[in-house]
Amino acid sequence: MNASVLDITRLRKSFGGLTVIDDVSFSVTRGSRTALIGPNGAGKTTVFNLLTGVYPIDDGRIVLDGQDITTVPANDRVTYGMSRSFQNIRLMPHLSTVENVMLGQHARARSLPSLLFPLGLTPRNKWAREAADALADAGLGTYPGQVVANLPYGVQKRIEVVRAMVSRPKILLLDEPAAGLNQVETAQLQALLERVSASGTTLLVVEHDMHFVRNLCDHVVVLNFGRKIFEGTPAQVNDDPAVREAYLGSDSSMGAAHAS
Amino acid sequence: MASFIDSALTWIGSSKAGQCFADLDGKLDLLPQQTANGLMLGGVYVMVAVAFTLIIGMLNFLNFTVPALFMVGAVMMWASISGGFGSGADQVMAAIVGPGNQWILGIVVALVVVSLCSLVIERFTYRYMKARYGDATEHALPLVSSLGFLIIFEHVVITIWGSDSLTATSPFGNSSFYIASIQFSTPQVISLLVSLGFVFALSYMLRATRLGRALRSIAEKPDTAPLMGVEVGRIVPIVYVLAGLLCGIAGILFTLNYTTVDAYVGDTVATVAIAGMVIGGLGNVWGAVIGGLIVAMLQIYATHFCGAGVVKIPVWGLLLLILIFKPTGLFGHSAIGKGKF
Amino acid sequence: MSGYLESQLIILCLNVIFAYGIFLPAASGQLNLGAAGFITLGAYSSAWLNASMGGLGLPMFFSIPLAMLFCAFVAFVISFPILRTRGVYMVLATFAFAEVVSGFVINLDFLGGAAGMPVDDHANINVVLPVALGVVLFSFYFMATRLGLTFRSIHDDESVATLFGVNVRSAKVAAFTIGAALTSLGGALYGHHYNYIETQTFNVLLSIYILLYVLLGGTQTAWGPLVGAAFFTAIPELLRQVSKETGEQWIADTRFIFFGAIIVLMMVVRPEGLVTRTMVERLSRRDKGDPPAKTPAAGEVSS
Repeated sequence: MNASVLDITRLRKSFGGLTVIDDVSFSVTRGSRTALIGPNGAGKTTVFNLLTGVYPIDDGRIVLDGQDITTVPANDRVTYGMSRSFQNIRLMPHLSTVENVMLGQHARARSLPSLLFPLGLTPRNKWAREAADALADAGLGTYPGQVVANLPYGVQKRIEVVRAMVSRPKILLLDEPAAGLNQVETAQLQALLERVSASGTTLLVVEHDMHFVRNLCDHVVVLNFGRKIFEGTPAQVNDDPAVREAYLGSDSSMGAAHAS
Repeated sequence: MASFIDSALTWIGSSKAGQCFADLDGKLDLLPQQTANGLMLGGVYVMVAVAFTLIIGMLNFLNFTVPALFMVGAVMMWASISGGFGSGADQVMAAIVGPGNQWILGIVVALVVVSLCSLVIERFTYRYMKARYGDATEHALPLVSSLGFLIIFEHVVITIWGSDSLTATSPFGNSSFYIASIQFSTPQVISLLVSLGFVFALSYMLRATRLGRALRSIAEKPDTAPLMGVEVGRIVPIVYVLAGLLCGIAGILFTLNYTTVDAYVGDTVATVAIAGMVIGGLGNVWGAVIGGLIVAMLQIYATHFCGAGVVKIPVWGLLLLILIFKPTGLFGHSAIGKGKF
Repeated sequence: MSGYLESQLIILCLNVIFAYGIFLPAASGQLNLGAAGFITLGAYSSAWLNASMGGLGLPMFFSIPLAMLFCAFVAFVISFPILRTRGVYMVLATFAFAEVVSGFVINLDFLGGAAGMPVDDHANINVVLPVALGVVLFSFYFMATRLGLTFRSIHDDESVATLFGVNVRSAKVAAFTIGAALTSLGGALYGHHYNYIETQTFNVLLSIYILLYVLLGGTQTAWGPLVGAAFFTAIPELLRQVSKETGEQWIADTRFIFFGAIIVLMMVVRPEGLVTRTMVERLSRRDKGDPPAKTPAAGEVSS
């Protein structure tokens, strides 16, 4: 078994004439909690979109747990052991909480018998039970039947994590999980992510809140203008001159990062 | 199975497809005249297609009240010149503009009614949804409401005047003139010129006036237009009334030229106009003009060569092919119609 | 059962079958304004397979399933180009498809052409009603499967569904094809019940009405098309009965104006359709006696 679960090599992507990801390489160690940070527009979410196959890459290689997934179509990548949450909540507004989580199981239930199994007519089937248990484990047991559109923001954020987890990923990509959450909700989310990590899933987190990153992560990759400018521990990141230069004057989030 | 193949072969060989090439020389001789007829028919489609394209270009939804407004315009004109409002109203109208000249008031009545209808429709299809849901194109709401209005208007007309054909006598008779042995009907030529005149005026208005700039900014950036000082709430009713007026004028010209209308006349004309709009490219005014003329030509030529029975195939077949292979049409751009519905 | 009630029930059954045929694609976010095309295909292909003169002379119970298979095949083939289109373009493409079908059929002399075609076997209420019930049950089962769940996910957010492993294109093709098979089943039954078909009956107005049943009933649950079709088949009839009972002729004359007004008002009051997911959830929770879910406190929702 490799030490790293995800290896990104010389990733490159341009839109039109604009190069948004330029020669980015890094590896994510198995079981680590890696943060991907950088000023606004640095290309963090683009990296996620390239990893999950939302856009094809122009050049480079993506290896997930020893398997090259560079050319695997977007809807198959989840079966290789990678799933994600989204910057703006992307739960299905007309599905109930449990149904949203059951969508996360799709990668493990793509055979015809599984597709034709009547989930909704037999409430205590194994898929529904598993989804309800996963929600209960995450402290969301009171919400199973409710349509998600009416739930509080913090709860929806955690449901997104649960939905991604039931696909049983080796690596979980989280795009600004703490954005828009209050302190209580952030603490709840962090507790959930600690448990996910303790269960052996590797975390790769895009996040603006440096406080959150320091509390959660053990490794940091910094992007600026589509290039990697730093890689190291959270403790080192503030002392690095390149990182300081990238943030100073260019983005308000550094102020927030220092204040916290 | 054999009978199926037999029938298919018979069909291709003689009865239908074969008849397209029968007496080809005679048909080709008549081609210039048919082309002129196609242009005249196109004049009707052009304005309706422009009305469709205006709303889909500005507000991004397919407005099914366009056929209703066209029909209302046509029926109002019919009622004005044929005493459809009752003999009392007819006498009053005759007293104002003189007997035989009721068509002048007919234009006014038709345009006023169509404008009022447009405002009511705007209130329920667009404004309400925008106010309540932020995005008026969500849930196919305006599409459904506009279909509801189509049913309402058609049945109001049926309730008052019945569902049979309503025939008027044209106040202009059937005067015509010849250019190089091609016969042109005078009212039809005037209609075509009026249509093109309105399209020119509209296109000038969009390009050169403040209102036009406001309209275009809504079409291009509906989210930021309010920030730039465009009062969307006041502009959208104007778009509706403009589209309504185009339909109304088209309906008026239709009645004056073809003299026979009924409650469903809008469906027949507007569905072909939709095809014209798509062929020209959604949201493009001159595209709708060209597209409207193309479908009219297709209809006339198909009827001329192969008979009235096959008209649907070339028009809708072309529409289907365009939608699949070049959905932006001849002049459209890709941003329009990409909403959920 | 009185003849009147039976004839109304038949119309209701056919409308329900049509509605489910359009509902399946609508549940996955595709607006299909081409119902008339598949109804035409189903009615004519079953009529021809069944016809003893000039056709194959198969009994109705073979000709109808074969007609469905044929239509499913046609739908499968055309779904690939049609599903390249989206939004308004798809509405127009399905509509154009229906017109092309009608344009071809009216020119095929062995199908009677413009004069229409008589249909041999008769399907009475004892056939139509069980089939309609079967379609309803099938649709409820189907929407409860994982495949149904993926349809609803695609309706809400295609790209997220893709990232969780859903093959969006295949699911859409499946929805379109199965929906077309159901629509054509309704068309075949229509032909066998009335024993006469002509393309003019299956016009754009029919497609519009069927799409309206579905959108007004609601596309989120399998209840939608049933409620929508029932509601809108019943309203004009009820108004006619009211007119008969009260002797007020104007009610019968203006009933379709009311009908249109109800459609417009419905979009104001219940824009997501008569039956929504939330409504079904609330009703079923009341049945089980579960406590209502905690509602978020004010200010807690920041989205």
